[in-house]
Amino acid sequence: MGAVIVITSGKGGVGKTTTTANLGVGLAMLGEKVVLIDADIGLRNLDVVMGLENRIVYDLVDVVEGNCRPKQALIRDKRYDTLFLLPAAQTRDKNAVTPEQMKKLCAELKEEYDYILVDCPAGIEQGFRNAIAGAERALIVTTPEVSAVRDADRIIGLLEAADLGDPKLIINRLRPDMVKRGDMMDIEDILEILAIDLIGVIPDDEKIIISTNRGEPVVANDNGSLSGQAYRNIVRRVRGESVPFLQLYKNSSIFSRLKKIMGLSG
Amino acid sequence: MLVFDENIAEWVTSVEESMSKYTVEFKGTKEGVTIYCQESAGFEEILLDLAARLRQRAVFFGQSKVRIDVGGRQLTEAEQERLADVLAQNSKLVLAGVQTSATRPAEASLARRRGETAELKLENCKEGRSIVIKRTLRSGQSVHYPGNVIVLGDVNPGAEIVAEGDIFVYGTLRGIAHAGRSGDRSASVVALRLAPTQLRIASVISRAPDESSLPNQPEYAYISEDRIMIAAVNTK
Ligand SMILES: Nc1ncnc2c1ncn2[C@@H]1O[C@H](COP(=O)(O)OP(=O)(O)OP(=O)(O)O)[C@@H](O)[C@H]1O
Ligand SMILES: [Mg+2]
Repeated sequence: MGAVIVITSGKGGVGKTTTTANLGVGLAMLGEKVVLIDADIGLRNLDVVMGLENRIVYDLVDVVEGNCRPKQALIRDKRYDTLFLLPAAQTRDKNAVTPEQMKKLCAELKEEYDYILVDCPAGIEQGFRNAIAGAERALIVTTPEVSAVRDADRIIGLLEAADLGDPKLIINRLRPDMVKRGDMMDIEDILEILAIDLIGVIPDDEKIIISTNRGEPVVANDNGSLSGQAYRNIVRRVRGESVPFLQLYKNSSIFSRLKKIMGLSG
Repeated sequence: MLVFDENIAEWVTSVEESMSKYTVEFKGTKEGVTIYCQESAGFEEILLDLAARLRQRAVFFGQSKVRIDVGGRQLTEAEQERLADVLAQNSKLVLAGVQTSATRPAEASLARRRGETAELKLENCKEGRSIVIKRTLRSGQSVHYPGNVIVLGDVNPGAEIVAEGDIFVYGTLRGIAHAGRSGDRSASVVALRLAPTQLRIASVISRAPDESSLPNQPEYAYISEDRIMIAAVNTK
């Protein structure tokens, strides 16, 4: 029986799709059977990030409307044969799917796959409700910006209300130089407000943009990038391992605090 | 300051037991000292006793404020002056007023129970219904309540509490808090860390200063002269 994990944020453009793609590839690299669901109907782009756009025949709406079986709509990844994508429909809108349909679909998929990762659209409306409907775990992505953190907080509240408790936090696009200058929110500032467990911090890294454009998520690159390493660490934490945090910048007090939060100290 | 009051009260309790032969009785309160005159005693007797007791304890009382409770008696102006004279000659206590059983504040009969360390002032007590929220209020969540609101957790930016009474946050208040929303200007907002986006009490609104650091001690906000003032909660 697999796990259904939704990747959500509230605010748009903070890295949900990038995270979904990287975690999916990372989990598949470790041999897990993974399905990525693009729940961002009408604005799909997980297929582009995965480099699979030209292989789409059926999509999520086709599946819930019964035009095809789920298996027929799943696109196998080019490199990792335990990784599949269920693309979003580009020509429909979010109301084409209901939460009940998503719940049913996720329940069906987790019979056969180890991880079902749902890439959530931005916002808190129908698309969000669809994306979280079938999930039992949630990863919240935020950037170190006041507005993104505010939206993450809103999402955490909505997840609680939907009985999707204990979400984990990913802080994306951190810039150590800016934090040091006091121009960017610190990890500690963010955790103080959101008060949920941190599962990873990803530095702002141009390699992510380059790899995204190539359709080859950075997690698989053995080029020594910190962002790739950060994603590999998150993949392992998602699987339940405890992995020490990357030292993105030297500030022992912060990292000892993080370790305390994650129960990794000592 | 409170410590001092408690000492008086303790002392008074022990005196009440052992020295009830006196016709005057001292009670310590937060506001100072009240001296009660025995109903049955004659006025001259009271003046004598008062002088004696004051001389004994003058050092202890220092310059506290004192009220003299003469019970059911109606003192003439001359008698009041003599009371004041005895006080002035035998102590440094400052006479704040003379009261009778009719003008006695309601709390005088309260807190006479044994073991009570300080008298509670009824006018400082507020009664009303309350709701206790045992979790953090996050962005987009709001609580409207026709009474006092107590939060055991934080109130995050983007969250809102609107109460007809007081608001207590046992955590960090960063969102919006509106106490006394139906016009109660005596309402207050208390938080372990008070850093709200905006505060409202009754119809007075204030916003956080643009640059402010988070206090690391409990504070409360209240209305004073049409403005919202913030003060530290004195935990000593
Ligand atoms: N750590 C990073 N460093 C640099 N660029 C990043 C990083 N993470 C994401 N990006 C870039 O930010 C942009 C937005 O990322 P992404 O599409 O993953 O966000 P999203 O949350 O899915 O957005 P939307 O809400 O529109 O679905 C992309 O161009 C991506 O390449
Ligand atoms: Mg996206």
